[in-house]
Amino acid sequence: MIAYTLRRFLALAPMMLLMTFLVFLGLELTPGDAVSFIAGPEAMANMDGSQLAALRESLGLDDPFLARYFRWLGGVLRGDFGYSLTSGVPIARIVAERLPATLELSAAALLVSTLLGSALGLASALNRGKALDQALTVAGMIGVSVPEFFFGLVSILVFSIELKWLPVGGRTRPEYLGLWDRLPHLVLPALVLGVSMTAGVMRYARASMLDALGKDFMRTARSKGLPEARVDLVHGFRAALAPIAVLIGFRLPMLIGGSVVIEQIFQWPGVGSEFLAAVRGQNYPLVMTIALLSVLAVLAASFLVDLATAALDPRVKLS
Amino acid sequence: MEGETLVRVRNLRTYLYANGRCNKAVNDVSFDVRAGRTLCVVGESGCGKSVTAASIMQLLPPLARIESGEIAYRSAEGELRLDRLPRNGRAMRSLRGRDLGMIFQDPMTALNPVYSIGFQIRESLRYHTRLGAPARRAKAIELLADMGIPLPAQRSGEYPHQLSGGMRQRAMIAMAMACEPKVLIADEPTTALDVTVQAQVFDLMERLKRERGTAIMLITHDMGVVAELADEVVVMYMGNVVESGTVREVLKSPAHPYTRALLGSIPLLGRGRSQRLEPIRGSTPDPFDRPPGCQFAPRCPRQEPACDAGLPPEVEVSAAHRVRCLFAKEGRDGR
Ligand SMILES: Nc1ncnc2c1ncn2[C@@H]1O[C@H](COP(=O)(O)OP(=O)(O)OP(=O)(O)O)[C@@H](O)[C@H]1O
Ligand SMILES: [Mg+2]
Repeated sequence: MIAYTLRRFLALAPMMLLMTFLVFLGLELTPGDAVSFIAGPEAMANMDGSQLAALRESLGLDDPFLARYFRWLGGVLRGDFGYSLTSGVPIARIVAERLPATLELSAAALLVSTLLGSALGLASALNRGKALDQALTVAGMIGVSVPEFFFGLVSILVFSIELKWLPVGGRTRPEYLGLWDRLPHLVLPALVLGVSMTAGVMRYARASMLDALGKDFMRTARSKGLPEARVDLVHGFRAALAPIAVLIGFRLPMLIGGSVVIEQIFQWPGVGSEFLAAVRGQNYPLVMTIALLSVLAVLAASFLVDLATAALDPRVKLS
Repeated sequence: MEGETLVRVRNLRTYLYANGRCNKAVNDVSFDVRAGRTLCVVGESGCGKSVTAASIMQLLPPLARIESGEIAYRSAEGELRLDRLPRNGRAMRSLRGRDLGMIFQDPMTALNPVYSIGFQIRESLRYHTRLGAPARRAKAIELLADMGIPLPAQRSGEYPHQLSGGMRQRAMIAMAMACEPKVLIADEPTTALDVTVQAQVFDLMERLKRERGTAIMLITHDMGVVAELADEVVVMYMGNVVESGTVREVLKSPAHPYTRALLGSIPLLGRGRSQRLEPIRGSTPDPFDRPPGCQFAPRCPRQEPACDAGLPPEVEVSAAHRVRCLFAKEGRDGR
């Protein structure tokens, strides 16, 4: 187990190098650079060539591509993530401010979608072909096809503006800081994001539960005289759990990336909207840091998925 | 009591429905399963052996229905009509595992891969006995030891995939026998096993029959197994019982052309090397498009127009031997 963890950890390094290099290359290949964004078209027209060159040089954009990549990498290894090209704020501070908000929202949404999705999928499978199953299937199809932003706007309209139950947006009022005080702000975005992610979990849970229900061991369980609820849950659902856990696991990286659309609609001060702005502005230190965290999250999630699968299915050995 | 009828099946018809079509998988089947005896149900693949067993246990697939006939179980409290009990109702559940045990064909898929075999054995103890957790634990280990599993305490904590095929089937039998059911239904318990392990598993079942007076219904398609283990035999073809009786009578003087063909198509131990083996000609008909009369008629060497007029009635060749063939009596002396 320890050896396995260690091995997985060591395998991380080359993976990270490759991924960050690819992202860096992608940024390099997009037309324009940070200067063209900072300066804007009008200023560009007024500035003369030497001024622009000076600005480029001050930001270190003149150096060859590889030199810049390794300078960034060296900084990261020393714990220095650099400064935002647009605002000059240290990247570490931006991330420290934004990441908790994204984590909070995504974790809440993930929890909602996991619980709701598994429960509805289970109910759907157990009532296969009946009214409940059909209703849930239709609801799931609607859930998948309605865009998040529409769903978000409608719920703001209903719950915040009409019913005035919940705040319109933001993460907190200036004077409140504890989680409990912030909770009303979290409810709506977490529910909207969670519910919009539920349909996928539900369909997956339904399919893997149906698969389990058709297994021979279900009949064996019945042949022992076990009550139906125990047959369905202890034998059926338990066997359906491993594939569901995989799906949930592969959604973990969104804890870092968040949902850009939801963050914007609810003015949630998270990483997603910041990342979007950074990509637009070619603000490479920030883009690279968020990309780095995301890659790390993806790799960590796949590690967790492996651990969960091994824990849930005794036939799987970690190797 | 030895020889007492525990399960009485009379004129059982179980139909399966698929895509709006009806498969008369079990069509007028009658037999008795007796205490301390082994009843072998034999017939080729698809003839309805498993559906018959599932009808008794009420473990039929959702789109199957017992249309008519009766399945009666002589319980300690009196006779129970199993076919009238709700499928997964309390009464049926309390019989399953406690009075009626079942062993399935493939222990690899019939055991739940995510639970240890000890857990799966303890489950039936939990629902049918008053034993506490430590007592159940001890009993499960004892059962495994009884089934001849070495290191039972350790094995009890292992998962099905960690055991060999033979060990798995023994664990399965231990599970079925956990509450000492009076009737054990074994659906081709050894098809997935090699010959020596097969012999060991059968030894085990023989011992249960002898020592505990368990009534055994053993499903097989192997005439060799029948000759070896059966006290009584039921030969099925396409949902009908074509011939039934004591194993001596049926094997020595088979009266139905199908039974004869079945016996002629397999080598029998002790008959020497010079046996002439003849495969049965033709192939099994489509279950959704069955012959109008005797199901075996299209493949039968003795076929006449009368065979297609309707299902031939069962005739008694002797007190312990019944045959469903128009020519049963005349054909008795063999070919
Ligand atoms: N779950 C099911 N769904 C639909 N049809 C089934 C099902 N199980 C069995 N049948 C059909 O019922 C008929 C009898 O099948 P059954 O399984 O009882 O045969 P069997 O004698 O046990 O054969 P085998 O030796 O292969 O186990 C066959 O025509 C088969 O196709
Ligand atoms: Mg079968």
